[in-house]
Amino acid sequence: MVVSKEIYIGQNIKRKHDIKFLTGKATYVNDIYIPGMLYCAYLGSPYAHARIKSIDISEALKLKGVVMILTGNDCIKHLDPLPVTIDFSKPPFNWHWRTVKAYPIATDKVRFVGEPVAAVIAEDPYIAEDALELIKVEYEPLPAVTDAKKAMEKDAPLLYEEWGDNIQSHFIVKGGNVEEAFKEADRVVKFRYHEARHSGFPIEPRGCVSIYDSKTGLLTHYNNTQAPLLARQYMAKALRIPESNVRIISADVGGGFGNKLNWGLEIIPALASKLTGKPVKWFENRRENFLTQPHNRDYTWEAEVAVKNDGTIIGYKAKLIVDVGVEGTNRGSGCGCGIVGALYSAGPLRYLKGAEVEVFNVVTNKSFFCAYRGYGKDFGARFYGRAFYFVSRELKIPVEEVIKKNVLQPEDYPFKTIIGPHYDSANFPELLNKALKKYSEYKEKKKELISKGKLAGVGITAWVEPSGAAVPWCIYYGIEGGTKISVLPEGGVKVYTDITDIGQGTESTYAQVVAGILGVKMNEIRVIEGDSDITGAGPWSSRGATYGVSALVKASKILKERILKTVANMWKVNPEDLEIKESEVYKKDDPSKRISIYDVARAVYFWPGARFVMPQDLLEKGETTLEVQVSWFSPLTAKDPGAVYTTHVTGVDVALIEIDPDTGIAKVLDYYIAHDAGKLINPAIVEAQLHGGIAQGIGAALYEELIYNEEGQLLNPTYMDYLMPTAAEIPNITVDHVETPSPFTELGTKEWVKVDLYQHHQQL
Amino acid sequence: MHWEVKKVNKMRIKLIVNEKEYEIEVEPRKLLADLLRELGYTSVHIGCEDGKCGACTVILDGYAVKSCQLFAVQANNSKILTVEGLTKNEELHPLQKAFNDNFAIQCGYCTPGMLMTSYDLLSKTDKIDEEVVRKAITGNLCRCTGYVNIVKAILNAAERKKGGEWW
Repeated sequence: MVVSKEIYIGQNIKRKHDIKFLTGKATYVNDIYIPGMLYCAYLGSPYAHARIKSIDISEALKLKGVVMILTGNDCIKHLDPLPVTIDFSKPPFNWHWRTVKAYPIATDKVRFVGEPVAAVIAEDPYIAEDALELIKVEYEPLPAVTDAKKAMEKDAPLLYEEWGDNIQSHFIVKGGNVEEAFKEADRVVKFRYHEARHSGFPIEPRGCVSIYDSKTGLLTHYNNTQAPLLARQYMAKALRIPESNVRIISADVGGGFGNKLNWGLEIIPALASKLTGKPVKWFENRRENFLTQPHNRDYTWEAEVAVKNDGTIIGYKAKLIVDVGVEGTNRGSGCGCGIVGALYSAGPLRYLKGAEVEVFNVVTNKSFFCAYRGYGKDFGARFYGRAFYFVSRELKIPVEEVIKKNVLQPEDYPFKTIIGPHYDSANFPELLNKALKKYSEYKEKKKELISKGKLAGVGITAWVEPSGAAVPWCIYYGIEGGTKISVLPEGGVKVYTDITDIGQGTESTYAQVVAGILGVKMNEIRVIEGDSDITGAGPWSSRGATYGVSALVKASKILKERILKTVANMWKVNPEDLEIKESEVYKKDDPSKRISIYDVARAVYFWPGARFVMPQDLLEKGETTLEVQVSWFSPLTAKDPGAVYTTHVTGVDVALIEIDPDTGIAKVLDYYIAHDAGKLINPAIVEAQLHGGIAQGIGAALYEELIYNEEGQLLNPTYMDYLMPTAAEIPNITVDHVETPSPFTELGTKEWVKVDLYQHHQQL
Repeated sequence: MHWEVKKVNKMRIKLIVNEKEYEIEVEPRKLLADLLRELGYTSVHIGCEDGKCGACTVILDGYAVKSCQLFAVQANNSKILTVEGLTKNEELHPLQKAFNDNFAIQCGYCTPGMLMTSYDLLSKTDKIDEEVVRKAITGNLCRCTGYVNIVKAILNAAERKKGGEWW
């Protein structure tokens, strides 16, 4: 069909945009310097919970170079409260669901250490920080609560007195017949599992440069968000500026992982720019980042699993208690993690008859909750991952046998789970075949290590990861600015995409897709992303290979058809007789007859113009340009509104671990993953992504934890104390691919961008 | 009356960055990383300001240093190399090429620091293996790559150096 396809799609083509990173020429938001620019610095609360009695900014205002100091009162005067990002209190859900009224700067009381109480705007970043020390705040400290279980107790300190308790939301997700499943069960396996609070903490902190033009009323806001369109909506609402007058430009982004989908602290620099008439930069420091950026995990499963004596899991009842910190509906959207966690607790389980998950999102005095390489999908994965092990232990069946027995088979797909998710395709037997070979090797090595007097363990898990979301009643509802592809007469193809490159390589891989489908030379393609005036909905929730790629394929096909029809009309042949390859249209039976797509563009646009070269039907439909704009929506979600996600990546991971008997320190010695992300566009990039995801998983499993004491002080808010893995801790990682295409995307792609942190079910 | 930060006179310093000479006045408290960025060397990335992440690593008088851990005045009379100075006549340094060839870059934020630390390592020794490389870059954090391809790239660069490709 498309002759040139295999030159690009599926090939390990080197990333063309690496050069800017290698030469120091990338432009991250902190690299933007504008003459006359002011700097914003926040004063954070030293208390986890306290009433603000008074704030005295007079001394700080006297410091030379300080231009303005903003407090909560200024927020009330100039801003709307932080917009709601997710709300399931509405039909058909009608869940117990509370949102909060909060501002970027605290107005009456502070609810976590680091919560801003004032912002200094100064001519120099050093002076801004000097001024912070001159602000005097009088607090009335209140008792803090930093544990979700304690926060649920009757006499717990209340973060929001008006609620009467600390439960931000509470709901039940269920399907099938749970009672029957438990009646039929031979036994019930109970377990409890808690995962520590942690997050991504990208090496580039959050920041922005905000420029308000009072003459035009336009706000141009450079930041490092993953999702300019979502930022635009959020900031416009809070700042009371018409959304059409807000332009968010996402600079080169130094890592996101879901941590750059929050804009609360960017509102103040924008407001300050509006009030001072000057550009204002904010670039947080690392401590501020740890204290005030989104956190994730910190949830507990309390589960009862109904099993048959042969290890078949037929049902479960579980409680999922999530510590969302100060809140999960306004600063971020973390309250949705519990929903996705409940939905994906069903994972790859084949024989479920009934399942019920009761979710509590509980507020405590810590930073807010939002996505981190996972949005609750991983909570679900941890549930069935642990279930495999507890069932194995109790029934004395090897865990790999429990996994083999319970996972879905290829013929089951597409498969609708009893609890909601709708799976597209997978091949667990093939993944298991590959992984179990490695698993046996690891077992041998384990024996060897133990015989040498060492402690060692092996681990295995099988998982399902959803991608391509459209979450209802939430800012993550498949908003698509769409994709636009444009062939220009004097050379070059412009590709506008909705997906911002935050390291996942789309600036290159999207060129591969268009080169392959449209038939143009890859080096003639310029991928444009990250500007809300053009497009820019994502990435979030792993949508680059579902929504992003599908829109590119759809647009490429329409544009290709239009070019072929035009040339066919020019040459008086049938469009079917023609093909495009490497930017040239040629006659299949006479390849010497050819014309460059740019000559076609010249003919269409100017010399002599569309009227003389395009066929009548295109002229009448007004399709007289070589520019196509489309949006794409999941055909699965279109049919089944309960199918929040479109595609599902699957995998089986195995690991070999050694533990130092003297110190108890665990180290992963080797790691293997058999992975199925459907059709791959650039396998080397997929592998690189997997390496990173697995390293984050290892960090989460063995090293990383945000440690809060009872007073709500974060004890490790630096890279010195928070143990992000270094090169010495991460083992060699081997990646094997299985390609089971998705029937629900244009190319059969699923996702290459991200493997959630599922991989650390290592059983020691 | 206006407060002022304790009046400390600016100090005049001289330094050479990527073979370009500067003579400038700086506040004594100005961090070297901030100064380099203001001079236009924005490859020097700020990631933590406590010396752990390594994104601001530069070569100062032949040693890899974290420029956020030095005051600019401490660099008086020194020679500094940043990533901007690695390329020669628009041609990528073999080390840079190795990063591109081995898919060692994702978001790119740690890349300049990784390049400078590994440049320092490879310039000083030919005894390179995986363990040496991993140890050498423990002062540089990367959140995207799991270090796998970065280690590969540095080992590959060592090969190129053995093959005489280096400057």
